[in-house]
Amino acid sequence: MSTLTSTWETSRTELELPEEIDLQLEVANVGSRTLAILIDITLCGFVLLVVYMLTFLLARDETQSWLTDLTANTMTTILILLIFGSQWCYFNLFEWVWNGQTPGKRLLHLRVIKADGTPVSWIDVLLRNLSRPVDTLGPMGLIGLLMIFASRKAQRLGDLMARTLVIHETEIDWSIFDQVESPTAATDKARSVIRLAPDQWELLHRYLNRREQLQSEVRQRLAAALVEKLKPLVKGTDLDLSTLAPEEWLIELAQRT
Amino acid sequence: MTLGSFVRKHRPGWQKLETMLAFIEARGPSRTDRPFLQELTALYRATTGDLAYAQTHFRGTTVLLFLHQLVARAHNQIYRPHRLSLRAVERFFRKEIPQALRLHLQAVIWSAIVFLMGIALGISAVQFDERSASIILPNHILNSIYSGQMWTGSIFSVVPAPVASTFLFTSNISVALLAFAGGLSFGIITAWLLFQNGFMLGVIFKLCANYGLLGAVLEFIAGHGIIEISAIIVSGGAGFVVAQALLNPGAYSRGDALAQQGRSAVRMAVACVPVLVIAGCIEAFISPSHLPVWFKITLGLLLGAIFWLYLLFTGKRSVR
Repeated sequence: MSTLTSTWETSRTELELPEEIDLQLEVANVGSRTLAILIDITLCGFVLLVVYMLTFLLARDETQSWLTDLTANTMTTILILLIFGSQWCYFNLFEWVWNGQTPGKRLLHLRVIKADGTPVSWIDVLLRNLSRPVDTLGPMGLIGLLMIFASRKAQRLGDLMARTLVIHETEIDWSIFDQVESPTAATDKARSVIRLAPDQWELLHRYLNRREQLQSEVRQRLAAALVEKLKPLVKGTDLDLSTLAPEEWLIELAQRT
Repeated sequence: MTLGSFVRKHRPGWQKLETMLAFIEARGPSRTDRPFLQELTALYRATTGDLAYAQTHFRGTTVLLFLHQLVARAHNQIYRPHRLSLRAVERFFRKEIPQALRLHLQAVIWSAIVFLMGIALGISAVQFDERSASIILPNHILNSIYSGQMWTGSIFSVVPAPVASTFLFTSNISVALLAFAGGLSFGIITAWLLFQNGFMLGVIFKLCANYGLLGAVLEFIAGHGIIEISAIIVSGGAGFVVAQALLNPGAYSRGDALAQQGRSAVRMAVACVPVLVIAGCIEAFISPSHLPVWFKITLGLLLGAIFWLYLLFTGKRSVR
């Protein structure tokens, strides 16, 4: 039930700051990293395809004037540079200029950082991206995948050489904090107030906020799992014996916290 | 304090910090003024305080995770490494590259040995059986040599030099960078690339000699060959440095050796990039031209001498 305990419990990494606090960040998983790579490769491939088609169309002109020759040659040169660039420059330039992000990584909220938490320098970026032919691209990608699976901080060979990590920057649902908690129980003597730990409270409200977007089957399953997790906390109150359906039970619980 | 009231009380500060960080991340710290930076550091300290509080009271919440990320982001801006400056680039080329090469001279020599073995085997393969040339050379080059003609004439008269030079240097840089990255395959890919390129050169030499073209081929490669081969050997050496860190890390753990050696090896690989651009331009513009032979030979020797003198003898004074 990785959706119930926060996912970062299992995939976090600890970094030390000069302020003497340990930072815990969520290491990106294999799935999102693969997806980010696929997005980046598709983007490169799309640009190459467009330029290739343009080159082909411009070079096809029969008139053989010096102008068509010039455009065809310029386009061919650009195409060669783009092919080279997509293999060796795309990742390097983006991760350097965008502080550890490529378009694919930005879309999936991933970022490359140094293993000590500092931002990547251009030489780190160079080290991790020049090694891509050996552990990311084509059939060699299998090696990178296995490395990300097997290593503790999900580092492929290039990450080990550059001492970098890919982290996931979580988006937070702030709307759950907007409502001012005032248990309705105060006005209703029969319903007792229940104290939840902050993480349980947050979990409950995140579920209630998100449930509309879930598939009904997932929605039921999560509700049941949540009830099972939270039921021991209401021992001795009327909620313990309540026969409400899981979701209604959770709504009722939320009103008393 | 409940989680909800904690968030409601401090979130404005976090949001302010987020917008300031977004600004500084996009524009760089030089575009900010003193009050901006003072407010940034004040907000950073306040947020680390919030993080400490949340760590005690709100374990396991996404709010805590958010604060971790926000503090990390702010920390990254406050303690960021130096941006790439002109002086850093100058230091990189004047000191760090030659120093890295001298440190790893042994690996470069091994790289040269593998390359020479390739040449030797290429020559003896053609000596043994001329048909073996077909395993590495494409047909149009073979047919051209058999008829006693240089293949370069037909290629460079069709393809304009700017296009040809771009193609040549991009493919050569790809080989050089792959030779470096190949170190991560325990040097297997590196050794294979070096051997293959040497073998091809050996085959061409011997085959051209058999058909009376040795003079023509030497004239063709005189201008660009020395620096091109030097660059491939240096990048092969960079690959072997990485391979050695994996195979024989010495007193360090494999990960530490890899990180440390990779850092200096990549400098050698970067050194090859501008050199191969120059070599590619000479190969397309000057080598097939009708410029006098002495000019091509002088140019080739001069560039080769500059490259090796730069790598072996410059940047010796300690780095300041």
